[in-house]
Amino acid sequence: MRTFRTMLKTELKLSLRGMDMFIFAICVPLVVLVILDIIYGNKPAFEGAEYSFLEQSFGALATISICAGGVMGLPLVVSDYRNKKILKRFKVTPVSPSIILLVQVVIYTLYAVVSLILLYLAATIFFGYQLQGSLLHFLGGYILVILSMFSIGMMVGGIAPNIKIASVIASVLYFPMLIFSGATLPYEVMPTALQKLADILPLTQGIKLLKAASLGLAVDSVLVPIIVMSALAVICIAVSLKFFKWE
Amino acid sequence: MEDVIKVEQLSKSYGKLLAVKNVSLSVGRGMVFGLLGANGAGKSTTIECILGTKKSDSGKVSVLGMKPLAERKKLFEKVGVQFQEANYQDKITVSELCEVTASLYRKAANYLDLLERFGISDKLKSPVTELSGGQRQRLFIILALIPNPKVVFLDELTTGLDAKARRDVWKILSELKAKGLTILLTSHFMDEVEALCDCICILKQGEIIFYGMISEAISASPYDKFEDAYLWYTDEEGQE
Repeated sequence: MRTFRTMLKTELKLSLRGMDMFIFAICVPLVVLVILDIIYGNKPAFEGAEYSFLEQSFGALATISICAGGVMGLPLVVSDYRNKKILKRFKVTPVSPSIILLVQVVIYTLYAVVSLILLYLAATIFFGYQLQGSLLHFLGGYILVILSMFSIGMMVGGIAPNIKIASVIASVLYFPMLIFSGATLPYEVMPTALQKLADILPLTQGIKLLKAASLGLAVDSVLVPIIVMSALAVICIAVSLKFFKWE
Repeated sequence: MEDVIKVEQLSKSYGKLLAVKNVSLSVGRGMVFGLLGANGAGKSTTIECILGTKKSDSGKVSVLGMKPLAERKKLFEKVGVQFQEANYQDKITVSELCEVTASLYRKAANYLDLLERFGISDKLKSPVTELSGGQRQRLFIILALIPNPKVVFLDELTTGLDAKARRDVWKILSELKAKGLTILLTSHFMDEVEALCDCICILKQGEIIFYGMISEAISASPYDKFEDAYLWYTDEEGQE
């Protein structure tokens, strides 16, 4: 526990000194929120909708920082530490891989939570957003998205042989998800064919859950996304711990 | 005497290159063992195979009676390691690096005392990147001593240190040795090896070409200075 606390404190300081997560996980979602407001203002999501386009997008915006941290930040920092042989030094100490990974997971969770709070405050105070549905459902969906995105990141970070491959895999996962799952480009404006394709991405499923909770809509089937995302998380976490590479 | 480090018939190759060939050695408690040889002779590979950061092709290794790969967590509570290259996070400061390192062990030494003894306590708040080569070298020796180890592995102990700092490091290590610390080190400085080591092993292209005490190394050679004897051993093999 002492190991965990000390590492968390230090790694958090190092991460904040780096600034990139502050930009990608904290600033970007806010910027996208402002841009959506400029483009769509208070227009309804579609003809006759009871909620605005902005309200519809809130759930998606909340996942941007999860993606930035979980799929980019997390794997890159772990593979950077492997590349710099910091993990090799850790290997000749009693620390276990799960603590090293958990410290980073907590750091990026903190970024995501801070981003969610800021987004919520900005959306409610400046843009008239209100959570229509159940807060509990929203948070449940949010945690599920964190779990599945971070487990992907843990797996990539834990087993990618070097930082180049980690960064390629991270980019291949990150950018399509960010664009096509509805996190930045709204799912609703995509052509149907693209929507079908986007449905494969786990993040799309997560955003659907968040959107439903945020707008107070009924979801056709909550069970499928929940099962798919949980299974993904369990598999990825198990793989990342089992095949963790120190060097 | 109990063997703190015991290596039997260790071999390791990288592809076709045989880096370490049938190396056996044993280091008793409170001994300073010097692993010598030119660059590329297999010193670092031997150390890494002993520690388990590299997997040997064959051979048996035990440290403090434990197998490094199987009993990693238990063993490394009591083992300090300084690798040849210093590895640390970007932007980390001296005190942060020491604090994190200390937090990894159940019974860590007070790193402030160690920084004081090694003469870099004024650098506590400095980023590690801004230290001079010699200061960084001392910091990584300190990190190896933070676990309060029973045995330390020091790869290229005083490379980059000035004459005064080297003497200071020797003195501290001698004191720790007197208290029962076992040390395995590599070095390119024969005066250092003479000052510290009880037993040496000279490697040439991955094989042991001399194993024994320094006095034995000198008397088995045509020279009366250890450095000359060392060069004679390493050269003789090269001329074959």
